[in-house]
Amino acid sequence: MSEQEKPRKKKTKYFFDYTMLFIVVFLILFGLVMLYSTSSYEANVKFEDPAFYFRKQAIASAIGMAVMLGMMFLDYHRVQKYAFIGYAVSLVLIFLVLTPLGYEAGGARRWLNLGMSLQPAEVAKLALIVFFASVVCKFGERIKEKKGFLMVLGAAVPHAVFVLLITENLSSAIIIFAIVFMMLFVATPQYKEYIIIGVSLILVAVVVVLLVKYDVIPASVSYRFARIKAWLDPEAFAADKGFQTLQALYAIGSGDFFGKGLGESIQKLGYLPEAQNDMIFSIICEELGLFGAIAIILLFVLLIWRFMVIANNAQDMFGALLVVGVMAHISIQVILNIAVVTNTIPNTGITLPFISYGGSSIVFLLAEMGLVLSVSRSIRLEG
Amino acid sequence: MAKRNQPKNGLNKFTQRMSKKLAVLFVMILVAFAFLGARLFVINRDNGDKYKKRVLSQQAYDSITIPAKRGDIVDRNNTKIAVSQKVYNVCIDSKTLNKDDGAYIESTLTSLFSTPVEFSYTKDELRSYIMANPGSQYRIVAKKQGYEAVSEIMNMVNNPSMYPDFKGVWLEDTYVRQYPYNSLACDVIGFVQGDNEGAYGLEEFYNDTLVGTNGREYGYLNDDENLERTLKPAQDGKTLVTSLDVNIQSIVEKNILAFNEEHRNEAREGAGSSNTGVIIMNPNNGEVLAMASYPVFNLNDPRNTDNLQVEVELDPEQFGLMNGILDGNADLENMDDAEIAEAVRKMAEVENQDAEETPSEPAEEQAEEESTDTGTANIDINVGGDDEGNAPADSDDPYAGLSYAEAYDKAYEEAKMEALNALWKNFCISSTYEPGSTMKPFTMAAGLEEGILRGDESYVCNGVTEVGGHQIHCSNRLGHGTLTFAGALEQSCNVAFMKIGGVIGKSVFMKYNQIFNFGLKTNIDLTGEALTNSLVFDINTMTPTDLAISSFGQGFNVTMIQMAAGFCSLINGGYYYKPHIVTKILDSAGATVETEEPRILKQTVSEETSNKIRELCIGVVDNGTGKSARPAGYRIGGKTGTAEKYPRGTPNYVVSFMAFAPADDPQLVCYVVVDEPNTPNQAVSKYAAVLCRDILTEVLPYMGIFQTEELTEKEAEELAEKQQEFSKGSAAEENTEEVTGEIIVDANGGAEGQNEQGENGNSNSNGAITFVDENGNELDEEDQTGRKVEIDPATGYAIDPTSGVLLDPSTGAPVDPTVTDLQ
Repeated sequence: MSEQEKPRKKKTKYFFDYTMLFIVVFLILFGLVMLYSTSSYEANVKFEDPAFYFRKQAIASAIGMAVMLGMMFLDYHRVQKYAFIGYAVSLVLIFLVLTPLGYEAGGARRWLNLGMSLQPAEVAKLALIVFFASVVCKFGERIKEKKGFLMVLGAAVPHAVFVLLITENLSSAIIIFAIVFMMLFVATPQYKEYIIIGVSLILVAVVVVLLVKYDVIPASVSYRFARIKAWLDPEAFAADKGFQTLQALYAIGSGDFFGKGLGESIQKLGYLPEAQNDMIFSIICEELGLFGAIAIILLFVLLIWRFMVIANNAQDMFGALLVVGVMAHISIQVILNIAVVTNTIPNTGITLPFISYGGSSIVFLLAEMGLVLSVSRSIRLEG
Repeated sequence: MAKRNQPKNGLNKFTQRMSKKLAVLFVMILVAFAFLGARLFVINRDNGDKYKKRVLSQQAYDSITIPAKRGDIVDRNNTKIAVSQKVYNVCIDSKTLNKDDGAYIESTLTSLFSTPVEFSYTKDELRSYIMANPGSQYRIVAKKQGYEAVSEIMNMVNNPSMYPDFKGVWLEDTYVRQYPYNSLACDVIGFVQGDNEGAYGLEEFYNDTLVGTNGREYGYLNDDENLERTLKPAQDGKTLVTSLDVNIQSIVEKNILAFNEEHRNEAREGAGSSNTGVIIMNPNNGEVLAMASYPVFNLNDPRNTDNLQVEVELDPEQFGLMNGILDGNADLENMDDAEIAEAVRKMAEVENQDAEETPSEPAEEQAEEESTDTGTANIDINVGGDDEGNAPADSDDPYAGLSYAEAYDKAYEEAKMEALNALWKNFCISSTYEPGSTMKPFTMAAGLEEGILRGDESYVCNGVTEVGGHQIHCSNRLGHGTLTFAGALEQSCNVAFMKIGGVIGKSVFMKYNQIFNFGLKTNIDLTGEALTNSLVFDINTMTPTDLAISSFGQGFNVTMIQMAAGFCSLINGGYYYKPHIVTKILDSAGATVETEEPRILKQTVSEETSNKIRELCIGVVDNGTGKSARPAGYRIGGKTGTAEKYPRGTPNYVVSFMAFAPADDPQLVCYVVVDEPNTPNQAVSKYAAVLCRDILTEVLPYMGIFQTEELTEKEAEELAEKQQEFSKGSAAEENTEEVTGEIIVDANGGAEGQNEQGENGNSNSNGAITFVDENGNELDEEDQTGRKVEIDPATGYAIDPTSGVLLDPSTGAPVDPTVTDLQ
């Protein structure tokens, strides 16, 4: 009897996903190690400071961790109130890139200088996850209807379009669209519509690829078409558009099963451009081999599985959809990043979450993780 | 552990359906991951090896080679005679310069051209090159600049933060080979061409030792561990320490030059001889102290043809016909040769207007036939076509299908290369000639060693003797009359030596030729030693006439180094040392990695025979043909040589003198060969003897060998005069000053004090031997009595010096012949 009474007397126990926290911390630390290994050469050449990128990333990671902890102890329902404001502000931020606040790096104008550098696309991803989680809850049953569905989906269009037009960031636009698409997929009971949309998108892509391949659309129209050509045959464009992809493939291929050893990459020594950014996964393959690469993929799978568990057990629909959004965000970025590195899809700049270099990215990713952990904390354990 | 709560609000709760769809999404994500994982695996499996090689190959392509420093060559006193100097190439990276719309091109160019660097391009040329080649990342724009010139650029390259407007430039290290003494010992040292490849002499022979191993740099140098691992430092080449002495070498070269200038244009146009070679060796260890020949070339500019006579002769008629220049001329049959030549010459002049280094009247130039050793090359070209003037059908003709100008250029290039090769080769080891009378001591040694000659023979010379049906004359056609054994050598009587040859027979003569290495290489550590095995007699086909003439050094060929090395053994007690130049090899840090010890290859003759030959050679200088070789204040031994060249009957001779000094304790052997002295009568061995004397006069005091003989008044006067001349000459003559400036000749100071000492030493050290200078017979007798004593330690006759094996007292041959095969 007394044993049964004990839990009742106790306060309600809440769940906390230590597994996920551990995975995130591990990925962050592992990412820092890999980043230092990958970037020290270039940092030294460019800035005469081998730790240049590492230091910046470490600071961003520390800020991100603090944000994550803050979000974790915050009741995630409070962000629901700011869903629309977040939506509007993130849209404004995209436009701010056009003002003198915006600045250019690496040939693209994608950043804002607000005391610290900020990429509006990263803000937009977080804002849209919160916004759609909130909207879907509000729409309730109506979302099952065609009109409601299109209205919700349509709400994602401005961000995707402006990210594409203003910052010329196709990959972010795709990610934003994909996040919303996946969230809606989970939130609505239909399959048919998604299959139609998915198949028609694939068909459009195939047609474009074929047109480019047989020079119906000349590759000179846009560098994106040139990239498609390079994707189809990277060796033929080894000196130009195919260079980075080919160098990434060399890195992956030369890694063997256990790799050359941490820090032993040759490709990072000036051969692979942007090694510490989009291409860091190929350096992981080169240094840690197939073994290390698969281990990292499995860590991400584990993380995504934890997302699913938390979403399934979330206290309410808003929390569940938040988690689904973050899950969509991280999984789509990992998949696209590895797909680019392995030349499975044409080259487009997508970073590997937690590991690639990028301050905005890591801070907002960790903010999202904070939200997810906050959702996990609200799960009541049955006593 | 975590379970879903009971729904509070159906709408606001994650439904079963959603959960199911989430699971579908998860599975789809898993499938995507699995697919990508498989893709990684496939890349590794299918292309792993290929990509591994690509990574390595592009690494080699992009990496920077760190050149190894070629090792120095130093003389016995560590004076550097060949050094490698670090220099810098200035390189341009157009790709970097074209970034930011080429904003830094101007500023970078301005900075570059404000430095004292000598660029291969003008500023405008460079600017247009950068603009036109935006993809180029490597272009050398200034070659082999010294540190002072590039120090500013180096500063800018190394401090990019201080010079933000200076981009796309870097410096590449390289080395240039420098020879501080220019032409000194050029034949011995050799030079470096192309990609650090030694050519001729020590540079070629020791190329592998000198060259080192290039390093590689896979990135920039810094303190970072990752990067340092990618740096493979160059291993610098090793330093050669040679037995050469720069001072002795310059004395030798100065005197060779003086001789050739003195006799310049005397009997014919050109230098004082076709070639003049001198070798100075230490007979006691086989080390070469100096080795020189004439003409010389500047090692820092070996391809300079300014002093070369390159002449090309083309048959104008053939050319004219071949090229159809004269085809339109119907009067061809009626033109004489001069007219045809004139027509072709005019044609050639038009064609040749742009050609460099082309004499203005090539067709008329009639080259004199001269030996290639003088650096003159003469190539006759019979350009295709036959006498009828048909077009050449012979495809083997290297000049077929070429225009006159092209054929001329080609012929000129070939003639130039031939002349240069002749200039570069080392006369002392690469040229063969008939030794002449310097062979006579070897012949005598063979007879004495075998006991066939006893040293008390006498010979009657009436100027000519008949061998095998040939009348062979002595150098003195009137005849020497009756000669003692020593007198035969002193007077260099051919008749006597033909008799000696006949007595010892061809088998003994040839056996000793083998023993003295004639026909074999000495394997001196220099590239290009001539192999003379086909230039000596074959014992099976050797006729009595062959034996007769070879006994006084005609009919077979030797190299200078063979003679010098053999002569060393003849006068040093019979030890044949392998002649060598490198004594030590040092690593780049200066530590000795290899020492070349003197190597006795064999015992050629017994010490007794050696002593006898030494006495006989001293007699030659004291009483005979070698008088003029004696340097004032010293007593030396030696032998003259005057060899008639092929074809016989022409006035061409090789005169030579082989000396050792000082007489009682030889410290050096000096062998002088003058090929075709430029004098009306070449057959005067005095030329070589006097040159030898001049060299020894300076070298002996330099080596700290003291005078032993009293100077006559005349000699003292001459010596003083010479010294004055020398000090004056060194100031006046720019060329030789550098070479000889350091030498201090202290002949007078050394002379007086040492006279007595030397004389004392003479009587003390030589114990039983008394030099009976004036009387050759007496010398022989004493030697004869010496031989009758079975063991006489004083003369060393009966005890073999290396093994202590007893020698047969009646024949003088070793009882145990194995000691001669030390090799």
